[in-house]
Order: sequence, then C-alpha cells, then structure tokens
Amino acid sequence: MEVMSMSEDEGALESDTGDSSLRSRLTSPSYIKRVLGVLAGILALLGVLGLLFPTSVAGDLSRIVFRWSVLVQALRISTPIALAAIGGIFAEKSGVINIGLEGLLIISAFAAVYLTAVLGPDTTIAFIPAIWIGFAGGVLASVVLAWVFAVVCIEFKADQIIAGLAVWLIALGLAPFASTLYFGSRDSGSLGVTIGNWPIVIMIASVAIAWVVLYRTSFGRYIRAAGENPRALDTAGVSVSRVRYAGVLLSGVFAGMGGASLSLTIGLFGGTGETMVEGRGFIAIVAYLFGNYNPLGAFGASLLFGGLEAIQIRLQQLGYAIPDTLVQTIPYIVVILVLAFVGRTRIPKAAGEHYETEE
Amino acid sequence: MTPAVHLDTITKRFPGVVANDAVDLVVEEGTVHALLGENGAGKTTLMNVLYGLYQPTEGKIHINGIERSFDSPSDAIDIGIGMIHQHFMLVDPMTIAENVVLGNEPKKYGGLLVDHEQAIKEVRKLSERYGFDVDPTAPIEDVSVGVQQRVEILKALYRGADILILDEPTAVLTPQEVDELFEVLTELTAQGKTIIFITHKLGEAMEAADEITILRNGKNVGTMDANTVTREELAKRMVGREVLMEPQLSANEPGEVVLSVDDIFAEDDRGVEAVSDVSFSIREGEIFGIAGVDGNGQSELVEAITGLRSTKSGSMTYRGKPLEQLSRRERIGAGIAYVPEDRQERGMVMPFDLVENGILGSQRATEFAKNGRINWDRATEHAEDIIAEYDVRPPNAASTAGSLSGGNQQKFIVGREFDREPKLVVATHPTRGVDIGAMEFIHEQLQALRMAGAAVLLISSNLSEVQSLSDRLAVMHDGSFSGVVDPASVTEEEIGLLMAGESIDGGVDATLADTESTTDDEADNTGGKL
Repeated sequence: MEVMSMSEDEGALESDTGDSSLRSRLTSPSYIKRVLGVLAGILALLGVLGLLFPTSVAGDLSRIVFRWSVLVQALRISTPIALAAIGGIFAEKSGVINIGLEGLLIISAFAAVYLTAVLGPDTTIAFIPAIWIGFAGGVLASVVLAWVFAVVCIEFKADQIIAGLAVWLIALGLAPFASTLYFGSRDSGSLGVTIGNWPIVIMIASVAIAWVVLYRTSFGRYIRAAGENPRALDTAGVSVSRVRYAGVLLSGVFAGMGGASLSLTIGLFGGTGETMVEGRGFIAIVAYLFGNYNPLGAFGASLLFGGLEAIQIRLQQLGYAIPDTLVQTIPYIVVILVLAFVGRTRIPKAAGEHYETEE
Repeated sequence: MTPAVHLDTITKRFPGVVANDAVDLVVEEGTVHALLGENGAGKTTLMNVLYGLYQPTEGKIHINGIERSFDSPSDAIDIGIGMIHQHFMLVDPMTIAENVVLGNEPKKYGGLLVDHEQAIKEVRKLSERYGFDVDPTAPIEDVSVGVQQRVEILKALYRGADILILDEPTAVLTPQEVDELFEVLTELTAQGKTIIFITHKLGEAMEAADEITILRNGKNVGTMDANTVTREELAKRMVGREVLMEPQLSANEPGEVVLSVDDIFAEDDRGVEAVSDVSFSIREGEIFGIAGVDGNGQSELVEAITGLRSTKSGSMTYRGKPLEQLSRRERIGAGIAYVPEDRQERGMVMPFDLVENGILGSQRATEFAKNGRINWDRATEHAEDIIAEYDVRPPNAASTAGSLSGGNQQKFIVGREFDREPKLVVATHPTRGVDIGAMEFIHEQLQALRMAGAAVLLISSNLSEVQSLSDRLAVMHDGSFSGVVDPASVTEEEIGLLMAGESIDGGVDATLADTESTTDDEADNTGGKL
C-alpha cells in the first residue's frame, strides 16, 4: 500500500512539474524523481528481502511497511506536520519567515481541547458536535497569534526570526499555564472524545487547495511575487503588506488546523516538557524546505517523517529496541543532507526583508 | 497637432533644493524625445513628476492637450503613461508572461483561476506586434538583461501605455542590446507610441531621438533637432562650458616593463574557459587598452591580474617578480590599483560611509592604521580630499556609499584608487555611468598617471574612450585577443570586425604586441595577411 501511495504521489508531482518551465524550476523534477526513486527502490528492496527471508529483520520491516494500518498511522502522524508546513509555505513565500509555527501548533492544540472541554465534549450546538467547534476555536487561537506576529513583523518591522521565536515561547508558556488554571495540571486529561481520522482528510484537501491557490490563482502569484521581488508587485498596483498579512494569517489557519488535529485526534492536551507538539512545528519547517516550498513536496516530506515514526513505533511493539529519540533526529539529518548535497531548495529572495513603499 | 506631452513651467522644490526650475517640455506624438543632462540635472525628477511619483510645486501637465494632475503613478498609468525604471521590477523565477500580466491577470472559471494560456497568447501577440523577440514562457532569470528590459516595456504596453518614459535605458545594456533597443523604439514610434528617454550620453541621444531637450541644474537650456545638432553644441549646453570631447595623448617615452602576462588561461565561475592564451605587457608611462564586447573574458582577465581569480596556466610577472605568488593584499601593497567593473559589488561597501570606503584596501597602510587602531581623523581627511578633488556629490564624507548616485560612487572609487600612487592601474569601465564633465576629469587623471610613469590597463566598452586614450589597443573576443592594433591608425570598422572575432587585412602590426612572446592570435592574423 505504501508503494501504491508513493507512485500516486509521484504522478501528482509530475503533473505539477511538467506543465511549465517555471514549475519545473520550482520543483525540479529530476530532484523529486531522484528522491522518490530512491524511496521506491528502498521499499522494493525491502519487499523482496522480506519475501525471501520472512523471519529476518527485513521480514518484520516489510510486514510493517506494507500494511494499511501503518499507512493510516503514518498519515495521522504526518497530518499536523504537513498542515503546519503548508502554513509555513504561505508565510515564507510571501516574504515573512514564520519560525513560530511551533507556537501556533501549541496554542491551537490547547485552545481546541479547552473549548471542547468548556462546551462539554458530548454536547452539540446547532447540530455541530462540540469537538468541531473546539477545532474551529483552535484555528481561531492560532490565527490570532499569527495576526499579532504579522503586525509586529509587517507593521512594526521587527526581526522575523526574533518575533517567530517569541511566538513559540509565548505559546510554550501560555498554553500549559492556562491548562493549569482550567484543568488543574499542565495536561488536560482525556476529553473522552476524539475527532477520528477526519484530520487526514482535511490535510489532504489542504494540500490540494494550497497547491491550486499558489500556482493557479492570481493571489498565489501575488504571494510568490511578494516574497521574490516585492517592488515588482508594488509597481503592479498590488499592496505588498496586504499580501503578506494574508500569507501570515493563512499560516495561522493551516497551523491552527494542524495543532487542533494533533490534540483532538488523541482527545487531550499534553503540556509537560515541550508540550505534546514536541518540535513538530520545526519539523514542518524542515518538511517544506525539503519539499522546496511546494505543498505537494512538503506533504511528501511530512509523510516520509511520519512513516519513519510509524515504523519505529511498530518495531518497538515487535520488541526491537530502537531509541525513539534517534528516529526523531532523522528529519533534521535529512534536511542537512538535502541542503548540503542536493542544494535545490530555493529560498524566496526577499524572505525576511521588510518592505516599504516609496510613495 | 497637439503634443502628446506638454509640461508647462514645472517647478519642483525639495527642502533646500530646486530640482526643476520652471521647465517647459513639449513632446510630439509618435516621436522619440531624449532628455539629456549630467547626473543631478533634474531629469529623473522631472519624469517622476510626469509619472505621478512627485507632485509639482508649480506648473501644469497637459497630456494630449488635456490638463491632468496625478496623485500617484496609478493615475498616470490610467491615462496611458508607462515608466521603465533603471532597475527592473521583475520577479525572477516567474515567466515573462507571468511578469507582464502581474496585477492584471486574465481570469477563467468566473475569476477563480488565472487563465495562463490566455496570458501567454496576449503577451505573444503584443510582442509580435512590436517586433520583440521574446518567449513568454521563459523564466526571467534565464533571459538576458536586454530581454528583461523588453519585458518591462511589454508590461507598460500591456497596461495600455501610449507614452513611455525610459530612465537611462542603455546603462545596463551591451552595445548590441543598445542597437536592438533603438530598433524597438523606432518600431514603437512607427505605431504611434511616444517615447521620452533619459540619458547622459550624447551619442545615444543623437542616434535614437528625434528631438533632444537638455537640462542643466534643473533648467531647460534648449530643445534641439537631433538631426542637425552637433556633439560639441550638446556637450557645451549640457556642461555649460567647452568640453574636450576626445582626449589627446601627449607624447611619452615608455619605460621599464611593469606587467607582463604570458599565455594565461582562466575559467569563469561556471568552470568554462573564459581566458584562453592571452599574452601582453605594459610599460611604465603607457596605457594599454582592451576593447571588446562585455563578457568576452575581460572580467576574468582583470580578476586574474588583480588576484581575485586563479589562473589555470601561464605566468604573470609584475616588476620582475612572479605575480601569482602575491595575495590580493600584497598586490595592493605592491602598488596595483583596481577600479572594478561592478562598483556596488566590489568597489564599495554600500552601508559604510565615505570615510570607511575611502580607506578600503588601505586599511592596513601605516598612513591610516597604527598598532591595530585606525586613525579616523586621517581617514576623514583622506575621504574629504577625494570628495573635493573628484567633485563627489553630495560633498559629505559622512554619507553612506549607498546613498550616492552611481556616477558619484564611480568618481569616489576612481579617486580612491588613483590616489594610491599606483605603479599599475587596472581600470575597468572607469567612466561608466559618469557624466561628461566627470568623464573628462577622469581621462585627465588617467593621463596624469601615465605621465607620472604608471602603467595603465584600461578596459572599456566605450570604444572611443579606449581608442583615444590607449597607446596600444588589444581587442578581445571569446577569451583571446583577436588583434593588437595601433589606436591612432585603426578605424572603428576594423575594431568592430575584431570585436566580432574576424581578422582584419593588413592592419595588425606584430611589433605592437611588445612582448618577447608573440601571441598565437597575432600569428593567425599575420597568417591571414600573407
């Protein structure tokens, strides 16, 4: 099944790359093909080895990899990462580097659980289950925090990296604190309800919508122009700061859906340590860099990271002692290797720069 | 006939400055009108008034006989005025078509999605109509600067411009691209468009324009017919005094060989061979010129000599010692001055002030630095000397390099390098972007260095400049010298042939190479003669 999904993935990417020279440059088909080729090769090798030596590690691995439930789990793990990555793409393509994605995930994860708990997990309001209102509340909390970030960066021209770190640190302190006030502990405890696998559907739809918006609408072009050469956009009569606000707020929307998905899939908010988000916002940044700012690429990268995590969990269950923390370093190692050796990630030229109109 | 543009006694004051002083400008429909003047004469300000970027302090604007006032460029665009700025406003990874329609995309599915096919079709139609040779699907970053400029023109045309303002359109172009631009302008006016272009180059104004208006110190000092006016007349009005158009070299006996370059090869940044088997030498008191179309290996050759690029093979000798072993710092210390091609990249640090820029390269010289501390008083004095001597404006050592206009940056760099008392001067396009008054002064300084016994390597795309200033002139094509000629006897046509890589009959004097090792190219040329 994993193989199936990979080849579908490749098809989707190719329709993206094949259609104009711009797209092919942005997504560099050879690069994507190479990455996918290597992955497909590893899976094929695993499959063959698994068939030949069913009792070996390869046998166990292949049994894990080619299993529907593992794929679902991989998708579930990758959902918050992919959603936050899409958000990050919108912000950074418009010229605002949002390294506060982690904070947006945290605040929305908490707000979603909080609102659901306040409404009563089992109630419905106007036929809408409380958990979905909680989901919307999580998104709203993230958008509000993103809006503060946008005002600070665009209106007051603060350093985007510092402001982004502030977003993270604010959420990291605020969410567990609020949890302690309401739930009496940094962890909320179980709500008793979950949102099921709906977030996976939302994530896949978001990937598709984000791609269409970025590459097929004029708004998407404005986003890209704002991050590449804002003056060109300005002289074309489009307000750069408005486009950048939109980019950052969209990062709030997508990251908010990611954070709400994360907590509502389990049905609780965990606020100890780095909170339940545990660096997924930073992995999201890695994912979209790895995916070269393309929503499809970011999705592929998220799925890769999620897949590794899912395999690791299953291996643990089978009794292999693989340190969990080691697997979690993989995304970071991957991005360093990608940036160092493939070097095809193209950072928007004006990302991180403030823009001021001349008039 | 009503003129397309009539600026009626426009005055534009900024705090403390009168940029335009009661300027009248009349531009007939379907003509090319050049706005000529030195740096800071108020040309760009006047055009920014017409484009709505500035509001005039006094005066009226009439477009096609109707009085207009513009609050912003979008008002001007609505009335059909387009401006092509010196620095292009294009999004590099996007295609030409995407750039042209940016902000006005054709839509499909009820305005939901961009109709990309329609955009390509429209841009193609537009570019064919005016004879532009552009591929709408090519990304901007893959096309030449000349094509990028045409994209800017297409952007204005796509928005319905009938009056096009071009700000120093030739500053970034190669000579061929300049010719192509002028053809485009001819085609545009033939189809009824009106063009105003800002320039400080006499030759271009005379070649491309129907009429020329000259601005000096913010005032209109005359509008003349481009077909009948002479260069001298234009120069005089522009500068306000007689100008020596062609510098004359006084007789000078060259001394010892300062630099000799033997059979060197070098690669460009992409690893492609850019300099192939070049040999020459320069003596004290001699100017050796290199002419050629930009990008034929001149930059790489200069970088090899100044120590910014390593050579693949061959040797260079500087005053009897091998040059390759000297680091960049040692080369500066040994008296090699360098006026770089790209002043903003290599000539100055833009956010630094002129005091700091003035000691760039000599920051370790004992004159400015002792015991690891910089003597800022001395450095300030030094910067002020350069500013005064080379007429850098504004005359303020505390201003940052980035705040100066291109011409003034160039004057400052030239001043800094020439004041080092160099033994060898490597000057790349030393007068690029400067007005003719400053050009004359830089030419005089080059000659003074020559008379003082310095060896000068002069690279310029300005043919008359290298031809009139050089004692010997090499023409570079495709990485090697296609000929070394006597600038006094060679014709411009012959240089043109050499620039295109062809050999010329009977024109090459092998003794001019002035080095023990005659280059292969000269051997070729001699062969062709026999």
